[in-house]
Amino acid sequence: MAALGARGWLRGSAAAVPSRLWRAAPALWGRRARGQDAAAGSSDTRPAFTDEAVQNLLYKMTGLNLQKVFRPVKKELKPPKYKLMTEAQLEEATRKAIEEAKEKLRMPPVLNEREPIDDILAEDKILEGTETTKYVFTDLTYSIPHRERFIVVREPSGVLRKASWEERDRMIQIFFPKEGRRVIPPVIFKDEHLATVFQQDRHEDILNMCIAQFEPDSPDYIRVHHRTYDDIEKHAKYDLLRSTRHFGGMVWYLVNRKKTDGLLIDMLHRDLLDDTTSLITLYHMLHPECQSAKEAKEGKLQGVDLIKVFVKSESQKEGYIQLALQAYQEAVATSTAS
Amino acid sequence: MALARSVALLRWAAGGLRGPVRARRPLWAQVAPGALARPRSTEAAPDVPAEPPAFDAAARYKDKPWEYLETEEYQATYGDKPVWFGYRRNHKGSVPPQKTRKTCLRKGKSVGNPCPICRDRNLFLDFRNVKLLDQFICPHSGVVYHPTITTGVCMKQHKLLTKAIEKARDHGLLWLQVPYVEAPRDDYGTRHPAVSKTPPAPELLRGASWYPWYDWHQPPAAAVARLRRIYKAYLKEDGPPA
Repeated sequence: MAALGARGWLRGSAAAVPSRLWRAAPALWGRRARGQDAAAGSSDTRPAFTDEAVQNLLYKMTGLNLQKVFRPVKKELKPPKYKLMTEAQLEEATRKAIEEAKEKLRMPPVLNEREPIDDILAEDKILEGTETTKYVFTDLTYSIPHRERFIVVREPSGVLRKASWEERDRMIQIFFPKEGRRVIPPVIFKDEHLATVFQQDRHEDILNMCIAQFEPDSPDYIRVHHRTYDDIEKHAKYDLLRSTRHFGGMVWYLVNRKKTDGLLIDMLHRDLLDDTTSLITLYHMLHPECQSAKEAKEGKLQGVDLIKVFVKSESQKEGYIQLALQAYQEAVATSTAS
Repeated sequence: MALARSVALLRWAAGGLRGPVRARRPLWAQVAPGALARPRSTEAAPDVPAEPPAFDAAARYKDKPWEYLETEEYQATYGDKPVWFGYRRNHKGSVPPQKTRKTCLRKGKSVGNPCPICRDRNLFLDFRNVKLLDQFICPHSGVVYHPTITTGVCMKQHKLLTKAIEKARDHGLLWLQVPYVEAPRDDYGTRHPAVSKTPPAPELLRGASWYPWYDWHQPPAAAVARLRRIYKAYLKEDGPPA
């Protein structure tokens, strides 16, 4: 076993043996288990983010603005390509573009924060005072998933402990680098620099960078996402995330915390009645014990009535929503009249 | 392309003058801006007193380098063009060397024809003056211009420029095209023992030592007696047990 400086690596000796043992009994650990809420599933009354009904509603609300999804980006300059197409070919190309856009709009997972790791495996007092640095031992077997990789740290005091989540992420990035991810997270994700980002309306970019840099259940990922959603909700900049893959996560966050008023007003201003009904349906799915949910279920309300019932009982900014609703109805009336 | 560039330069030189039209030499033929206040000869004139350190023009913009880009002096010198526009390297032959010079300032003295940043001592490459850094980035493709081909800055300034641009990007003042990393699909289970809680070993729980031989155990009497017999000549009278 050769150990060098602050990092070491094993050549298939001690730490590989436990992973082989664990892999021999895969049924015990459920190696292909789907996330933390796999066990909850249908037995839990509260719907999860991954439920099909929820995903359909969120996808409908995200919208599909092809111009925004495939907008031009800064890259190497090349001469433009022109294609002459018939109507049928154009429809075919649009259909393909819509499929690609659906793939691009696939929502990143929303998970709970992971539990910190702080297990001590051994205490070797005899090693105390022999070294001045920590040694990190990483299992580099290529075929195991990163979540099953053993990474341990030997402290100068002789204690052998499991590496914490941040140390794990750093080591895995050093040995198995992923594109767009840095070993040490950039300074931009700290709270004081996020303010600069929000001032420039770069919410989508910072969320894309966050997905590239952090794991979905890391506290930094969750913190950055929550700060972004809070800022959007504070300044009502919902349109920045519409037609992106982050819109579903934002709606899920807002509905769970019952902060849907701003979003409702924004949708009414843009005349998106279907989106308002989807939002209210989702709200009732997540909070079935509230007043308007019961009324809606009894009366099987649709459209504007649903909104009215919702506004009466659940919203804080009742006046604004009534106003927006009135304006929408007038707009509909004038457009149908003319 | 060279013809188009020279035509553009002539047009700018002829028509780009604003304010009082006086016989002004074009930018690249002028004395380096900011150099007029600097004494030319190396011997200090004995009668002229040294400038009081309270008003040091060079360090005036050191803390807030973006202020210089708003001044009239900057506008008069550069106008709307980037600071490297019109700078021409002096080299032998038609093909310039692949790298610009290493540095324009050696032992406090500047070379002849210093690069666009070294010739103006009010320009500082700081990650906060984004307007200056933007002049060195292509607005269409987002790459930093090459020092040999386009800007002509010395290698030391180019290194500082790349560092400043990276720092500005880290702080969110400049934005690269963020690479598209698709939403992760892996399962994020935390049930594998590599990342979940392992119950600590029974020795740790009881507080006992990790290996039994960490603690002091009295050796068997026969072994002690044997050793005492062997080293009888060297034993001190008290004979410590450890």
